[in-house]
Amino acid sequence: MTWTCEQTELLLTDYLDGLLQPEHQHAFDLHVNTCERCTPLVAGVTHAIAKLRALPELETPPRLVYNILDATLGPRETVTGWAAVRAWVRSLASPRFAYGSASIAATFLMLITASGFNWKKPKLADLSPVNIARNTNRQANLAYARGKKYVSDLRVVYEIQSRLRQDNELPTNNEGAAPESTPRKEPGRTDGTNPASPRQQNRARAPGDVLTAPGKRNDVTSPLQVLAEELPFLSGKLSLVLIEGRSR
Amino acid sequence: MEQEAQLVQQCLQGDGSAWEELVRQHSRRVFNICYRFTGNRTEAEDLAQDVFLRIYKTLGSYRSAYGGFATWMTSVTRNLLIDHYRRSKRDRITDSLDDAMPVVENKASSARRPDEQALLGELSSQVQSALTRLSPELREAVILRDLQQLDYSEIQTVLAVPEGTVKSRINRGRIELARILQQMGVRPS
Repeated sequence: MTWTCEQTELLLTDYLDGLLQPEHQHAFDLHVNTCERCTPLVAGVTHAIAKLRALPELETPPRLVYNILDATLGPRETVTGWAAVRAWVRSLASPRFAYGSASIAATFLMLITASGFNWKKPKLADLSPVNIARNTNRQANLAYARGKKYVSDLRVVYEIQSRLRQDNELPTNNEGAAPESTPRKEPGRTDGTNPASPRQQNRARAPGDVLTAPGKRNDVTSPLQVLAEELPFLSGKLSLVLIEGRSR
Repeated sequence: MEQEAQLVQQCLQGDGSAWEELVRQHSRRVFNICYRFTGNRTEAEDLAQDVFLRIYKTLGSYRSAYGGFATWMTSVTRNLLIDHYRRSKRDRITDSLDDAMPVVENKASSARRPDEQALLGELSSQVQSALTRLSPELREAVILRDLQQLDYSEIQTVLAVPEGTVKSRINRGRIELARILQQMGVRPS
């Protein structure tokens, strides 16, 4: 079946709505795929329809319904005095208003709590701007310090894990391996010193050192001791670990 | 549909709340048709109000056999929009439709409020602008089909023309819209 550009233009809507007969559909496709004029036409119309359908439905202007009702049913009776107040209170009971109020209240409570307000022992002074600023600053610093400590603890844990893993791998790696000519660098060590050097060994045999056999360190405690030397602020915590290791 | 027919009956018996219910149910749709046709919010608001005034006055002529209250209301809206277009065209004293349409567009653009401009920026103002540049008979067909998602038989009832004419107008309207968008630099990616 021969298909012309005029037919394409004429039956484009039927094609896009899927109303063409199968044989016409096939001829349409064949023509459009090869025709320089019809290819952009179909693409352009498809694009235009997509753009049109993407236009959102506009909201009704707020006064429109009231204007229509006023123009058709006549102006509504104006309510004054207590009746107006009651009508206003009733209008507050709408779900939208309740949701909005709850959101505002929740935000307010969160902000007050974040500023360090003590709900168990509330004081009016805690709500003064100076105290709120001071408490907020204190809370922010505390949060920062806690975060920093948490990250630091995580680093220590990872360091211990890597040391233990390395220590476990060492014997297997050394078996059958050629002796290293250059000193091996420990992870995290930047000074380039060799922990197996006499100086390090002497330091490692300071009080608190654990030896399972003369000249041979315990597998678990060895990296912990090295870690304790590198991170002195952890020595208290690590000594506990060492004591536990010794008791086993 | 039965519920709407019942509401209409209540309205005819003087029930104000039934009328209010009908207005609330259909005002958004009528306003959107008016806005897409005119491209001007204030004008669309006035026209939507006029549509409901006319419906209120002619409610007794509605028959449920017509094809649903929404279709009847769309038909009234369309007739009023065409009347409005003809009236404003006469006011402009222009010779041809092609010369007149850009004037409408310019007038509409200058009358837009800043919030409307911002809204249009979000809502593909080029598409709305291109739509306003279509001739009214093509524009109404495209609006009813592609924006209001009416089927051919409903559009046929609203426009009071044969189905072949409906299809032809929609087809020509879409091709013309694509051409205008292309001229405006809005091309398919």
